[in-house]
Amino acid sequence: MFSDLERLRPMDSIARGPRSLAILNKLADVCGDSILDVTRDGITIRITLKAGCLRKALETIYSEHDLYFRTLTASDERREEGVYKLYYVLGIDSEGTNLVIEVPVPEAVEIYTASDLFRASDWYELEAHDLFGIRFNGRTLRRLVLPEDWPEDLHPLRKDVSVEELRELYQPQMISRVVTELGVEEVVRIPIGPYHPALHEPEYFELYVRGEKVVDARYIGFMVHRGIEKLAESMKYDQVPFLAERICGICGFVHSTSYVQAVEDALNIEVPERAEFIRSIVLEVERLHSHLLWLGVALHLLGYDTGFMHAWRIREKIMVLAELLTGSRKTYGIALVGGVKKDIAQDTVSKVKETLDRLKREYREFVDVATSVPQVRARLTGTGILPRGEARAYSLVGPTVRGSGLARDVRKDYTYAAYHYVSFNVPVYTEGDNLARTLVRVDEVFESISILEQLIDMLPSGPIMVESWETQPMKLGIGSVEAPRGEVIHVVVTGHYSPYRWRVRAPTYQNLQAVPIMLKGVDLADAPLTIASIDPCFSCTDRATIINLRSGSVKTVPIEIISRRGSGRG
Amino acid sequence: MVKFLRMLAISAREGTATRKYPFESSLVTPEFRGRVDIDPAKCVGCGACVRICPPSALTLNYESDEVVLKYFIGRCIFCGMCAYVCPQDAITITKEFELATPELNDLYDEVVHTAVKCNVCGKPFTTVKLVKEVEKRIDGGDMSPLFNTCPECRRKLTARRVGSGVTGVSVE
Ligand code: SF4
Ligand code: SF4
Repeated sequence: MFSDLERLRPMDSIARGPRSLAILNKLADVCGDSILDVTRDGITIRITLKAGCLRKALETIYSEHDLYFRTLTASDERREEGVYKLYYVLGIDSEGTNLVIEVPVPEAVEIYTASDLFRASDWYELEAHDLFGIRFNGRTLRRLVLPEDWPEDLHPLRKDVSVEELRELYQPQMISRVVTELGVEEVVRIPIGPYHPALHEPEYFELYVRGEKVVDARYIGFMVHRGIEKLAESMKYDQVPFLAERICGICGFVHSTSYVQAVEDALNIEVPERAEFIRSIVLEVERLHSHLLWLGVALHLLGYDTGFMHAWRIREKIMVLAELLTGSRKTYGIALVGGVKKDIAQDTVSKVKETLDRLKREYREFVDVATSVPQVRARLTGTGILPRGEARAYSLVGPTVRGSGLARDVRKDYTYAAYHYVSFNVPVYTEGDNLARTLVRVDEVFESISILEQLIDMLPSGPIMVESWETQPMKLGIGSVEAPRGEVIHVVVTGHYSPYRWRVRAPTYQNLQAVPIMLKGVDLADAPLTIASIDPCFSCTDRATIINLRSGSVKTVPIEIISRRGSGRG
Repeated sequence: MVKFLRMLAISAREGTATRKYPFESSLVTPEFRGRVDIDPAKCVGCGACVRICPPSALTLNYESDEVVLKYFIGRCIFCGMCAYVCPQDAITITKEFELATPELNDLYDEVVHTAVKCNVCGKPFTTVKLVKEVEKRIDGGDMSPLFNTCPECRRKLTARRVGSGVTGVSVE
């Protein structure tokens, strides 16, 4: 359809700049007639492509230096359009352009994998297979997010499967084992979502060691798939932010904000300026508490508990500030589609300023001392190295990618809320080791304080919520936020009263896939900190299994114990 | 390099950071969102709070002569949405958070309303107070014949009316 030059001309008007124009032209060259449509809405360019040309298209563009694989959303649109859809959401960082490749997938059509090109694509494909039954060729398909004993042909996010049916059809094998092995006749079933949390932790690493060196690592995760995307399909638009906020106990506001931004993007809702400012203010407060929390935990893992205590002492002031601004220390509960539900009072403004002044002083003093402690520095330097090339190939995000020399930060690249009103630096270190990732966060705390000072000074007056807004079905929206751990991106396809499809991608999903690379060759004692260096949403009771290749022994130990082994060094 | 010893001076200056709660008052700011309180005098049983409550902590229960608005604190996430949407300003967000109790019933709160029964099918479907409130708001608008008919029967009536081409409302 776009094969002849005449038809190609519209690309000029659709592109946002030279980078997107170059990429669009390349796609037009290789896919020609397979391009069904090209449109642009704001910063989002959408190309609809026949499934047959997807592989060729991705092969053509994967090596573009500023292209970033952000998320892949599958959606069951058989009822509306007779097909499944795949939405590849890519980002052209240098231009701040969203590039959405939309691929209609008729039933039984198989898609050729992209996981060898965009390595981040691996989990996304497995997930689309698990949840929708979409098949990918040229790779092994295994279970990712669903449990091993989940029924073979039951794909829970398909529209023809209801939550009630899921509860009926999936009975964890654990239950039948209890029935037969123990001979009990009746088992009381407590349904907790469509998944059972039989395994103790949401994250699990197997470290293969020779002596004290890690030679390989395997990650097993997705043990508490909660089925919230399905759940949201039966909740009203303004109820979902509260569910979204509960995705993470540390940085929940990034999720509620991403969700409302995605809906606003889909429905072209203009959010009042003051609401945009309040969102940015609360997002930065969240980053401050999260980074200080991480810093404390990292120091604890390094055996420097004094530092841990002081990090958390300072953090406490931010928690109080968060409550003052929102009504709650965590799960702030103020994000709604079209604005925020709580205003900042005038006397709160002066309290915010006071807190920031104190924070700046105390934090500078603390961090100066903590990062100079010899054993802290020694154990961070040169460990857990993530080369720049790998960071790029895996489309990593947040302090993890910025510690490996890439300045990716969606606050700057795909700006949102009130970030375009303030000036700030994006700290980047090139060493790619644990120290680099630590220093990125250390510096970011200063940047956040400065951003907050600017926002508070410039806070415009006016309404904090749009007067009204209307839904329109089957609109696509993207919302992304630079969370403390990296980009959170939500994709929404709108429905009448609820999201028709809501796809959440948290930063740890992207970054975890690179942890085995960081772990190769590190001392066992440095493994816990290396894992923690991406700041995954970890629980303090997490366990690691150590398999010793020489003796063949297997033991499961608390993660802290391994880390403490290294405290004598340095 | 004994810079790290400076932390001792900081510790001495800051002293104890933790509060001796519960012997000392806990730190709750004026903005804190705790459990909600429903004023039975103001509530008309419209159900707006029930429809927005994200975890279904609020429910409307239709019993033969009563419509009961139930609040189960055990499910409440203290989001304040109910107070945000209530058209009667009947809900206040309190600062109460010490809600643990060995008595399950302590976690329930109720507002009991007198029900209006449908004059066609006989099922309770709304509250007397809500009907009054609506009457007050539409101020003389001629809606009254349908006030006592539940939405389901109303739909059927309308369909029949349109079907037979009869105008005006007749309710047997
Ligand atoms: S919204 Fe207000 S008036 Fe309506 S039922 Fe709830 S508390 Fe009562
Ligand atoms: S505060 Fe939120 S969760 Fe609690 S009853 Fe009100 S709407 Fe429901």
